[in-house]
Amino acid sequence: MTALEKEPTTPAQGEPLVVLSDVQKWYGDLHVLKDINLTVHRGEVVVVIGPSGSGKSTLCRTINRLETIGEGSIQLDGKPLPEEGKALANLRAEVGMVFQSFNLFAHKTILENVTLGPIKVRGVKKADADAKAQELLDRVGVGHQAAKYPAQLSGGQQQRVAIARALAMEPKVMLFDEPTSALDPEMISEVLDVMVTLAKGGMTMVVVTHEMGFARTAADRVVFMADGQIVEENTPEEFFTNPQSPRAQDFLGKILKH
Amino acid sequence: MRLRRTAAAVAGLGLAMSLAACGDAGSDGGDSVDVEVDENAAESFDEGTRMRELADQGTIKIGVKFDQPGIGYKGATDDDPSGFDPQIGTILAASLGIDEENIEWVETISANRESFLESGEVDLVIASYSITDARREVVGQAGPYYVTGQQLLVPSDSDIADVSDVAGEEVCSVTGSTSLDNAQAEGAVPRGFDTYSECVDQVVDGTVAAMTTDGAILLGYAAEQPDALKVVGEPFSEERYGVGYSIDSPEMCGWINETLTESFDDGKWAEAFDNTLGVSLDETPEPPALDECA
Amino acid sequence: MEAITTDFDLYLKGFGLTVGLFVASGIASLVFGALLAAARVGPISVLAKASAAYVTLFRNTPLLMIFIFIAIAMPRIGFTFNFVEEIRVGDWNISGFFFRACLALTLYTSAFVCEAFRSGINAVPIGQAEAARALGLTFGQNMTNIVMPQALRAVVPPLTSVQIALAKNTSVAAAFGIAEATATMRLLGNRYGDQTVEIFFFIAVGYIIIVEIVALGSYALERRWKAAAR
Repeated sequence: MTALEKEPTTPAQGEPLVVLSDVQKWYGDLHVLKDINLTVHRGEVVVVIGPSGSGKSTLCRTINRLETIGEGSIQLDGKPLPEEGKALANLRAEVGMVFQSFNLFAHKTILENVTLGPIKVRGVKKADADAKAQELLDRVGVGHQAAKYPAQLSGGQQQRVAIARALAMEPKVMLFDEPTSALDPEMISEVLDVMVTLAKGGMTMVVVTHEMGFARTAADRVVFMADGQIVEENTPEEFFTNPQSPRAQDFLGKILKH
Repeated sequence: MRLRRTAAAVAGLGLAMSLAACGDAGSDGGDSVDVEVDENAAESFDEGTRMRELADQGTIKIGVKFDQPGIGYKGATDDDPSGFDPQIGTILAASLGIDEENIEWVETISANRESFLESGEVDLVIASYSITDARREVVGQAGPYYVTGQQLLVPSDSDIADVSDVAGEEVCSVTGSTSLDNAQAEGAVPRGFDTYSECVDQVVDGTVAAMTTDGAILLGYAAEQPDALKVVGEPFSEERYGVGYSIDSPEMCGWINETLTESFDDGKWAEAFDNTLGVSLDETPEPPALDECA
Repeated sequence: MEAITTDFDLYLKGFGLTVGLFVASGIASLVFGALLAAARVGPISVLAKASAAYVTLFRNTPLLMIFIFIAIAMPRIGFTFNFVEEIRVGDWNISGFFFRACLALTLYTSAFVCEAFRSGINAVPIGQAEAARALGLTFGQNMTNIVMPQALRAVVPPLTSVQIALAKNTSVAAAFGIAEATATMRLLGNRYGDQTVEIFFFIAVGYIIIVEIVALGSYALERRWKAAAR
């Protein structure tokens, strides 16, 4: 996997969509996010990598305020994140999120999982939401499972449903928090394929992952985090072939050895 | 034969205190019936009778109410219960040669009077114990030593004047009591409480229109709050208080009736009544006619 | 036997009131208890604390004391709640006594319902609520669409126990002006002093029937949801 399947693009192509400025976060005495400055532009795919405990998942979760921040500011599409209430709910509707453990609603069918957001949050008519959901499920390849419950599907299928569920809200940006880490190896590629297609389609994405192949294939930019800091960011080609910082060199040395 | 005079200690103390408001009762608790204890009484009963056994052992257990002012009441700090029922008990015990110090007063509530007699927990029950046919199936009841009737306790500004006014009204009494049953039969909505005093509170607070039970009890409560409460109406039931004894000792009936008749004649019954239930009344009623023993 | 056969209408009336108290307080306590649980796990700290304080107060107070407070102390200071008697539906109207009894039972039972719901909510994986939040559902939508329906399944067994306890706790109202089954038992016991054992037996059977209906309903619900989840 040496050849890049995608031409490197200039990171600052579109206008800024997600802007994190001087973000700090503590868990008690533990400083988990330090001086985070990150801008994600419209249409850009940013892959966040780094060792466990580096704060990359936390960073991802602050963008739709599933985690609050201690200091600094986060802006989405030019507006600061609301603190709580209806305004925050509205913001979250604009930000799709895919979790490591899928988190499909266990008591709802696959179709209901996908239509819930549009119906409850967007006020879409049930018939319209059903049609749209069926189309999305077909696109991610689980259309024939629409009437089943989550527990009846494999992990890979569940995660593809979760992606469809997030897409149904027509989000401005999609957040992926280690989307393949809980999957059996043979199911990883079916999920990554969906994500690659999405990236190629121009979706703005922030992806926390250990899948270096995906980073090389789909990322416009790789952000390397360690100890709560952004240590290095670069195009995938530059980052993987010529890492600048000792931490990144060390990290890549360990994971690319085998 | 030596006669000893003793003042029964079952003074109407609780009632006297509660009735002090109407300025009638004595306040020193000294108003109690004088009884003559016949120390050689045992010889006057035949061998094998329950009376002879009690006289020989020199003690007796009598069940009375502890929560009905004027009838059977024992305050938290009192040593012995006071009221008309304990005084009748003292008179009966004296005829067996048992003085008041050797009477064991046992609290009986309405629900356990039969079972206490059946199990021998008490020798006599004198606890506002109305004579009924159903009860005479399982226990003996001699008497009546007092006849009262159910009346109504209402707020002093109430329009209720008689039992005919209670139809459709909420009337309270003790849960499961005959009084409540009778009020229901008159068309009232029954409201049962655990104690009479809770029931009185309901009348004062206006959550019920009236309280009903035996007139004697109501008079006691009305006397405590004469500005707020009054007793109205003619008695609309007849409650005949009897002395309960074990059905296994039918010979006790004759002795009880004999002793009661004696107290009617020599004025002891009237004295006991005047000291207790009669405190707020102007005149002493005639003693009731006793039932024949079977 | 005669006590029950002769006065069977009293027996039925008594249990009618018992069922009435149970159903009214049962529904009210489920609604109020669920609101308390929502407040308890909700994002507004002052409501969460108020709910916790409520549970501490009412779960640790004997029911009899709550009854005495509502039925005897409150009227004494002027709160008789008799205004409810003005509410009329045709010929029927609620009595102040019935309302006060339901109020006492509801205040008490809600604390237990709240705790049952809270344990049920805690049994729902945190990711379920997070996923719903990420979709943009408000706290209320999240509770009603995602958390409560799943919590309900985990909560049926403990809630059943709470409601069974409530069915039996209605007997406390016997001493506060309600002629329900236990009061009827005392009335019949007074009327038929020689048949106390039979009367006790038939009253007990009545309670057993009520409790069994609740338990069977709960089993049926569990079975249906188990089938639906697979």
